[in-house]
Amino acid sequence: MERLMKALGDDGLDDYEQMQLHAVLGGDEDEDDEEDSSFTLENAADTADDNGGSESEDGSDAGEDGEEDEDEGEDSEEEEDVALDDVESIDDDAVPRQKIEIDNTVALARIRETIQLDASLPWTETLVLSYPDSIDVDVNDDLNRELAFYKQALHGANAARDLAAKHKFPFTRPADYFAEMVKTDAHMERIRQRLLDERAGIKKSEDKRKEREGKKFGKQVQIEKLKERERGKKEMEERLKGLKRKRGDMLDKPSGDDDGFDIAVEDAISDRPAKRGRGAAPSGRGGPKIPRQARDKKYGFGGAGKYSKSNTRESTDDFGGSSRGGRGGARGGARGGRGGSRGGFGRGGGRGGGAKRLGKGRRETARSKR
Amino acid sequence: MSSVLKAQKANAKGKRKADEMDVDDVEVVLPKKKKNKQRVLMLSSRGITHRMRHFMNDLEVLLPHVKKDAKLDSKSQLHLLPELADLNNCNNTLYFEARRHEDLYMWAAKTPNGPSIKLHVQNVHTMDELKMTGNCLKGSRGLLSFDKAFDETEWGKLTKEVFTHIFGVPSSARKAKPFIDHILTFSILDDKIWFRNFQIMEKDPSQPNGPPQTTLVEIGPRFVLTPIRIFEGAFGGATVFSNPEFISPSAVRSAIRKEQGTKYGERKDAQEDSAIRKELRKRDEDELAVSQVFA
Repeated sequence: MERLMKALGDDGLDDYEQMQLHAVLGGDEDEDDEEDSSFTLENAADTADDNGGSESEDGSDAGEDGEEDEDEGEDSEEEEDVALDDVESIDDDAVPRQKIEIDNTVALARIRETIQLDASLPWTETLVLSYPDSIDVDVNDDLNRELAFYKQALHGANAARDLAAKHKFPFTRPADYFAEMVKTDAHMERIRQRLLDERAGIKKSEDKRKEREGKKFGKQVQIEKLKERERGKKEMEERLKGLKRKRGDMLDKPSGDDDGFDIAVEDAISDRPAKRGRGAAPSGRGGPKIPRQARDKKYGFGGAGKYSKSNTRESTDDFGGSSRGGRGGARGGARGGRGGSRGGFGRGGGRGGGAKRLGKGRRETARSKR
Repeated sequence: MSSVLKAQKANAKGKRKADEMDVDDVEVVLPKKKKNKQRVLMLSSRGITHRMRHFMNDLEVLLPHVKKDAKLDSKSQLHLLPELADLNNCNNTLYFEARRHEDLYMWAAKTPNGPSIKLHVQNVHTMDELKMTGNCLKGSRGLLSFDKAFDETEWGKLTKEVFTHIFGVPSSARKAKPFIDHILTFSILDDKIWFRNFQIMEKDPSQPNGPPQTTLVEIGPRFVLTPIRIFEGAFGGATVFSNPEFISPSAVRSAIRKEQGTKYGERKDAQEDSAIRKELRKRDEDELAVSQVFA
């Protein structure tokens, strides 16, 4: 069949068809070979030798070939010559332009059978393991790919340990077994050094980053602290001012109890004045808590309102002048109270009391006396 | 001259060997012994770079049944290799072929009768890299782990078989150590074979007193193999498999260069075109032009 095709084909068929033809022929050969597998071996050996084509091989050839197959070998040589020519010409032509896929599964299977190790060989001879999964990850995803390989290896290692236990095969190296290693100690030291360097580098950069962050944050802290200090200062002043106002009369009249004032100052200065005040029931104040109305009455209230000075019906009707203004009355009273405390004498007191204005001369003498 | 000497030597040794071969040829494993006898000849072509050389050294140190030979002089005479393997008593050959000082091809072959697999080696990381922190006994037998994809295709099965022979350390290897402390994994991903080598640690190094828990640390080397072709014979013979996905690295490079070339060409073409268009846009002289009126 081969010769027939050769006669027909060399001019008529192009490379691709020849290739197909060859594949078909290969298949045919395989079928033949199943009948006679030693013949196949011959073919393979001859093929290898033919490819080289040097005469020096004949010596080794004779060593391998059985003498009884000599004529067969020659026979096959002829056939193989043709096939090889085909293959070579295809190799030269087809590589750059068209890709010819060859997947001669029959031949592959046959070749595998010829070289296969004995199936009855114990596992300890080969140490081969099959991973039941196939690696199915994205090739460019380095991490997952390596993880898949790692998993495969781990599975292999565990399976091998079980198998080794079954075959009573030493697996783990005892701790006191020392021998030359693949990587020298010097190399391992370099690896260790590099690991240490790497770790140090990471730590350094981490520290640096922390510092940088701290700097950024530290500024904020500084600002916060300054603000806090300022606020504290202001508060203190406020407190002291309030105290001064409250104790104004005390300052005027130093004969009063100094203790009360001191405690009040301490209260004001300390951070939590309210707590102390509540706990110690300060003597400076009238009591635990005076109601609003009473306090208004005693100290006066914030403001009298917008129309406090404008006339009311009563004030308009009143010509007596003994009391001025219905609305201003309360205020006047409060001022009067204060004025009274200043010594019970003076303009305010007079106004509040509604005392008669003295004559000019008497007023002047009074002023000079003061 | 040297080849002649070699040939002579081959004849001399071959004859002596011929007697032995009949006794313990590995292909014909005697059923009584049940021994896996493999020896691998490893050699490279001329013109390998230091990286490739280190990579080969790594493989040699991992596989105690490997016999390393001198560089092969010529790239065209691969038929010498089965002979050379025979001289060294090897039944497998791992031949590294460097092209243009940048591309590395690996031939994994069963000598003398084949098959042979030609693979393209990429992304080589050798053991010298400091990122791989594992270590193992020199000459300890490594486990071989193949993923499921190897059993799904016929070429995968064959490749698995050949790699089992070449990368599996036989128990009878002279320098082999009796314990297992590393695992070689082969995985098919993206139509390529990915190789990794891990150290098996019984205990977690972070907690030495904890329960024994297996952890792995990569030893190296790591590389990716793209199968190109599988030949029936040893370094020759009919192609029984060819990978349609494989594009030769030189083709890739030339495509890149061409792309860069087209960029330049396109720019030049555009310049020319715009010059022509400019010429076309030019209007003929107006009779009321300044130069005409005030001549």
